Amino acid sequence: MISLSARGVMQQVAEAIPAECRGEIIIVGSLAAAYHFFGKDSKGEITTKDVDGMLSPNASAIRNGKVIAERLLQAGWTLRKDPDWGALGGSSTPDDKLPILRLHPPGNTEWYLELAAAPPEGSMVPKVFERVSTTKGDFSLYSFRFLAVAEEDPLKSEFGILYARPEMMALANLLHHPLIGMETIGDTTDKRSNKDLGRVLALAWLSADQDSNALDEWPLRWRAALEKRFPNEWRDLAARAGAGLRQLLDRKLDLDQATAISNLSLLRGRDLGPAQLHATGRRVLVEVLRPLESAALAKSTA
Amino acid sequence: MVSAPGTLSRADYEPDGLWKNKVAVEVKSGHSFRNLRAGLMQLAYYLAREPHKRGVLVLVDSRITDTALNRERELAERALRPEILKRFSIAVERGKDFHGLPQDLEREFRPWLQDLIARETRKATTRWRQPADAVFLVLLNQWFLREEAMTTRWLMGAVGCSYPTVAGTLDRLMPVIQRSTDRSVKLAGFPAEEWRRTVANLHRVYPTLRYVDRSGQRRSPKDLLRRASGLGRKDLAVGGVIAARHYYPELDLRGTPRLDLTLHCPDEMADLSFVEQLDPALEKAGLNDDAATLAIHVLRRRDPFFVADGDGLPLADRVSTLLDLHDARLAVQAKEFLNHLVGSVG
Repeated sequence: MISLSARGVMQQVAEAIPAECRGEIIIVGSLAAAYHFFGKDSKGEITTKDVDGMLSPNASAIRNGKVIAERLLQAGWTLRKDPDWGALGGSSTPDDKLPILRLHPPGNTEWYLELAAAPPEGSMVPKVFERVSTTKGDFSLYSFRFLAVAEEDPLKSEFGILYARPEMMALANLLHHPLIGMETIGDTTDKRSNKDLGRVLALAWLSADQDSNALDEWPLRWRAALEKRFPNEWRDLAARAGAGLRQLLDRKLDLDQATAISNLSLLRGRDLGPAQLHATGRRVLVEVLRPLESAALAKSTA
Repeated sequence: MVSAPGTLSRADYEPDGLWKNKVAVEVKSGHSFRNLRAGLMQLAYYLAREPHKRGVLVLVDSRITDTALNRERELAERALRPEILKRFSIAVERGKDFHGLPQDLEREFRPWLQDLIARETRKATTRWRQPADAVFLVLLNQWFLREEAMTTRWLMGAVGCSYPTVAGTLDRLMPVIQRSTDRSVKLAGFPAEEWRRTVANLHRVYPTLRYVDRSGQRRSPKDLLRRASGLGRKDLAVGGVIAARHYYPELDLRGTPRLDLTLHCPDEMADLSFVEQLDPALEKAGLNDDAATLAIHVLRRRDPFFVADGDGLPLADRVSTLLDLHDARLAVQAKEFLNHLVGSVG
């Protein structure tokens, strides 16, 4: 695992993105969180090799994906060699079998920018693949349905590029994992849901570290995002948003794993144990999810 | 669970009982609407999560009238979604019968429910012992306030105890009791010996529950107080360093080490569910824990003698505040405050 300066990477990505596209890409995931919480600290680091950029809105994602990819390739960025995709995609390759756009910055293979798309409006499927054709071949822009909430009211970095709010990334992870699934990450035994739900706890802990009352604002923001992005089903989504987290807090081994994974990434150096993350989880359940669930239970006045 | 302390170590709400994995049951006792509404919402949350289950809220030992209950039902009908409501019932224990129990649950369900109620009621009725020292503490508070002498009947009413309890205490305190011709009583001076005995037996005289933060992000006493003030509860008052500073602004202490709250529960059942609303990351302190973030002092006498303080929570009385400082091991500040109080009497 490598460590990179969150601020430095954000700056490099921002400067590389063509100006005309800069307002239509939102940095999500580790870099967004690390920049938000540690960006002002020159020693603030991310411990990941992938930087996730979500092209938003979906309507212009294909066009912008092509523009950005071409411009980065012209500027010396290189396609990441990926063992999963030995050959470049062509017109006959199905969308979901195309390689993903992963680009290393010039002369540096320590990290790469991975381009994805915001989900199509009203999408009902968990993951969508869309084709981007470039001079280097065809690629896939994938989008996760619940990452739609990360498009809500993004924050602007000092370099002009947008990044997702921590609470919206937390909500996306909760919606994505209504239970602890068996899917593991790569060759490890780490469960994907433990990583992502652990991330929710890490984001809540770091938010409260920055401002002890930060969680007080989350319920209204979450509700507004759900109502806007999922107007017909926000109540059901709100009512079940906490299900995966409840499971995580009830299952010692999963919580232990979530803690261990978090301690290698966003919570590195904080020396937090499962008990502390459990307590943070209780705050999220009682102070954020419970008001949201109450709102979901309330009869519609419409 | 019936009026029992907030079960803070659990991840989230689970009903008191689950019959045949189909019917969730929450048992609530007492006559508070807050308790009833809390039970109602807890079950509603649960049913939203568990779309294939039904829920029954069972009220036991309740003095809530049928009219009031119907009003609560109507409020719930207006507030809750129909798909939750149709799976939800409220039953009331009236003598040996249950009103409002769904008919299809009558036969096998009833004995199971009675067992559940018995179990839950046992959990909740771990009663506090009636403090023998309550009469003395009221006498002392009245002395600090330079109040007139009190009748035995008044003391019985203030403490909520019998004549023999008051009479026995007055006999014990005889050397420091001043009796008027109308047989009313007051302290003749500061009863130093009795006070030392009280402080030495603090854990018995003044039951205290201590809570510590488990998140690694301890909320400040000011923050906890803000949240406590927002609860709108009439049975809470702020004590400890915050109240001591109000009564004696010169108190020699920087910062506020913890929040002290006095919980008035004259019916001897302490409803601590509000702790979760102050901070879900709080848990009851164990023997090896560091200093508490929150201390809750349980006040059992009938009249709490709370002192109004603007729009916020009222203040605990002077004697309770003094005991809070001792409980927090702020002996120097307690002595300083005591000297101030005694000096104020003149």
